[in-house]
Amino acid sequence: MKKLSLLAAIAAAAIAVPLSIGSSHREAPNISLDPSADNTDTYAFTAKNAPGALTVVANWQPNQVANAGPNFYRFDDDARYYVNIDNTGDGRVDVRYRWDFKTTVRNRNSFLYALPGVKGFGDPKLNVIQRYNLQLERISRRGGRTTIRRSTIATKVPVAPSNVGTKTFPNYNVFTAGASRGLRGGGRTFAGQRDDPFFIDLGATFDGINIRKGTGNEGEGREDIAGTNTSAIVLQVPERQVTRNRRAVGSPKAGNSVVGVWASTDRRKLQLSNGNFDTRSHSAVGRRGARTANRFVQVSRLGVPLVNELVIPLGRKDQFNRTTPNEDAARYGKFAIKPELAAVLNALFKVNAPENNRTDIVQALLQGLPGLNEHKGFAKGKAPAVDTLKLNLGTPPAAGAENRFGVIGGDMAGFPNGRRLGDDVVDIELQVVAGFLKGNKVPLGDGVDRNDKAFGDTFPYLALPQPGNDAPGRTEESHAPVPAGGS
Amino acid sequence: MTFRRRSTFLKLTVPLLVFAVVLGTLLLVNRAPDSSAGGRADPRADLGPPPRNTQELIESLQRRVRAEPGEATGYAQLGDAYLQRTRETGDFGFYVRAERTFDEALRRDAQNVEATVGEGTLALARHDFRAGLRQGERALLLAPETVRPYAVIVDAQVELGRYADARRSLQEMVDRKPSLASYSRVSYFRELNGDLRGATEAMRLAVSAGGGTPENVAFVQTLFGDLRMNAGDVVGARRAYGEALASDAGSLPAQAGLARVDVARGRLAAAERRLRRVTERLPLPIYVTPLAEIELVRGQRAKAAGDLDLVRAQRRLLEAAGTRIDVDLALFEADHGSPRRAVRFARQVFAAAPSVRSADALGWALTRAGRPGEGLRYARRALRLGSVDPSFHYHAGMAAHDAGKAPMAGRELRKALSLNPSFSPFHAQRARRALRRLQ
Repeated sequence: MKKLSLLAAIAAAAIAVPLSIGSSHREAPNISLDPSADNTDTYAFTAKNAPGALTVVANWQPNQVANAGPNFYRFDDDARYYVNIDNTGDGRVDVRYRWDFKTTVRNRNSFLYALPGVKGFGDPKLNVIQRYNLQLERISRRGGRTTIRRSTIATKVPVAPSNVGTKTFPNYNVFTAGASRGLRGGGRTFAGQRDDPFFIDLGATFDGINIRKGTGNEGEGREDIAGTNTSAIVLQVPERQVTRNRRAVGSPKAGNSVVGVWASTDRRKLQLSNGNFDTRSHSAVGRRGARTANRFVQVSRLGVPLVNELVIPLGRKDQFNRTTPNEDAARYGKFAIKPELAAVLNALFKVNAPENNRTDIVQALLQGLPGLNEHKGFAKGKAPAVDTLKLNLGTPPAAGAENRFGVIGGDMAGFPNGRRLGDDVVDIELQVVAGFLKGNKVPLGDGVDRNDKAFGDTFPYLALPQPGNDAPGRTEESHAPVPAGGS
Repeated sequence: MTFRRRSTFLKLTVPLLVFAVVLGTLLLVNRAPDSSAGGRADPRADLGPPPRNTQELIESLQRRVRAEPGEATGYAQLGDAYLQRTRETGDFGFYVRAERTFDEALRRDAQNVEATVGEGTLALARHDFRAGLRQGERALLLAPETVRPYAVIVDAQVELGRYADARRSLQEMVDRKPSLASYSRVSYFRELNGDLRGATEAMRLAVSAGGGTPENVAFVQTLFGDLRMNAGDVVGARRAYGEALASDAGSLPAQAGLARVDVARGRLAAAERRLRRVTERLPLPIYVTPLAEIELVRGQRAKAAGDLDLVRAQRRLLEAAGTRIDVDLALFEADHGSPRRAVRFARQVFAAAPSVRSADALGWALTRAGRPGEGLRYARRALRLGSVDPSFHYHAGMAAHDAGKAPMAGRELRKALSLNPSFSPFHAQRARRALRRLQ
């Protein structure tokens, strides 16, 4: 009987499908996704409770759901995670922070992540624990020579684990408070799972209903990232550690006031050649000389939100991810100054978005706005176009409530002067591409105005991760139409 | 007023739809699923949330191509999702859907890179390595700065036996983007060249890098286990297979790996039970043949005969359906069927793709057909890269044995057994018998 049913199964498969099966040739995956290395969002702002400090949030591995187990989300132990600072405006890194992770499995015979009732990071019930060292690197260039000075500013800091649920982590909040640590030289670090702060109406696009109400800025959009978590790194450091003269910022006009921020990920290079192997090899390998060189290559970077998504063409994304901001103007400037999207909008539907010579977009997203977040030391409007989040550290945080439209809404402490967690970058960029800065104020938006969870007032600011599989999404409440710029 | 409002709405809605689709596409690409979580049962999820597994990704992309039927990229990504689903389910019906979907994409945009890469991947899966290479090279011409075409090119070059070209392509690939996809290929290339430790290190990096789907991660964890197995580290192999199953509980390659661990520990009954379960899910020759061989070793001739019939029946059906013969079928015929047919199959395979694996199969078929001199010639070709595959050495040793070259026979058979004493319970037995005859 069994044999018959097997034969029937084969017959069905083979007749329906004239294809070869049973390959033993190596069909390795050919995925374009690389969630442990691909940066998803970067934020840089001056926190209200931390004047005099730069606060950066960098995220990897989106769409985490809490019941993904039994293998949970980790940073890649063999990758290097960076937050980069350019304090001169040339698009080259001057100060950077590097996180090196190491995973420990306490009981190698168990594949469980944790047993119920974990009390702290030292609790053996927590079977898989990841820790990291954090280094500060100062890069100086003189006469073509690059020197890197490194200092370790935190060691063996535990990563806040995936929030499996309230049974495993009865008090996740208190427990993961231990994942925030002070740094040598001042400041704080945090790494681990948090609620994904990005918000957008994503799902609707695939049903062709994208704007659920009115002109798009009347709410009722569905926040599709709601209820999903991300792997976040949060860094807060004294401004004097990152400014070009290593002094605190006196005023928004000060020469050291603007910093460009982006996050990136490096992975280890491998050599196939039999000869000329790298003698700095970290492991002695094989008689035939295939060596693992102790060198790294950048595989991902992210500064200004949606630049990679909207400005860089599909065929150039890999290149974008392995190059550095100082090459951006030459390589990708043409895609920003004549954005395909604006042309498409006009060709089809006449929203009067200017199509060519969009220096306003280049300025807002890549050069910095003159007098606000353009790097000092250049003639007005002449700073290089580089994909970094340019933040004027002298701009005081919004006195009252933050305006989600940031600068175009009259709130100078928001995007594109850095990026705060609550800045509605989808709506802002929609309106900017439509020509807001050239006077063409169209009230565009995706109908989602804020994150599903409130952000914290204190470090690490991000909301706690969603436990369990209770991930319903969130629907924006209806509200009166909001004009362009949100004013 | 009403009219004005309505026209504004229309004017804005349609371009925003374009924007949203572009944005949605790109975000989907960049923020795609990486979870094994099962289906969501949320009635409020009326519209597509970010997909959390390949099935949801397929549904989401199906909605998308319906919403935007003129756009190629959605079809290309849907085709990729079908290919991934084949990997996960073993249901080769998805190949046909993938092919149709890539065709749809290329009808809309003949220059579409993703669809061209997809067609190349599909050609490789069907063992048409020359077509795969053509598609990969075409994709690279269309988008010279991208990484994905290299995976297709490297795989095709390796299978076609063009190792110098493969080395160059693979170095470029891993220089451009070290990731699960490139690390795992470096590992295989090193393994083919006899560098087991280098292969293990590269596969460890592939596992550590992880990937977008649990199946991909489980796949490289299983390969890591295989490398540990070949290095004689049964405990390490067992752990790797267990980790693969923790990533993807349904991973059949990992189950087959655990069966190899059982064999290494002399637990043939357990190995048989495990492989039986695997073949009930997916009766592929790579699983059915070792199952039958274990049964033969255990003296269960009737059961083994039934399983071997299964492979034969499968072959006949596939042949009738115009499938390309592959190395596994040639080896199966050489061991358990008609050696003459094996020679015919292996010659076809070798002509289409003169790799070391094809040379090994052709050599073994010739040896089994009573032509050990010729067999030895191809066995040497199979070993030319310095392979540490025990079955290659076993085949060379048996060819030398039958050809009357005793010193070489002894050397190669001892090598096979020292690399992995349990590389095959069935053939290890034969190797030991041949060695005894030599003494």
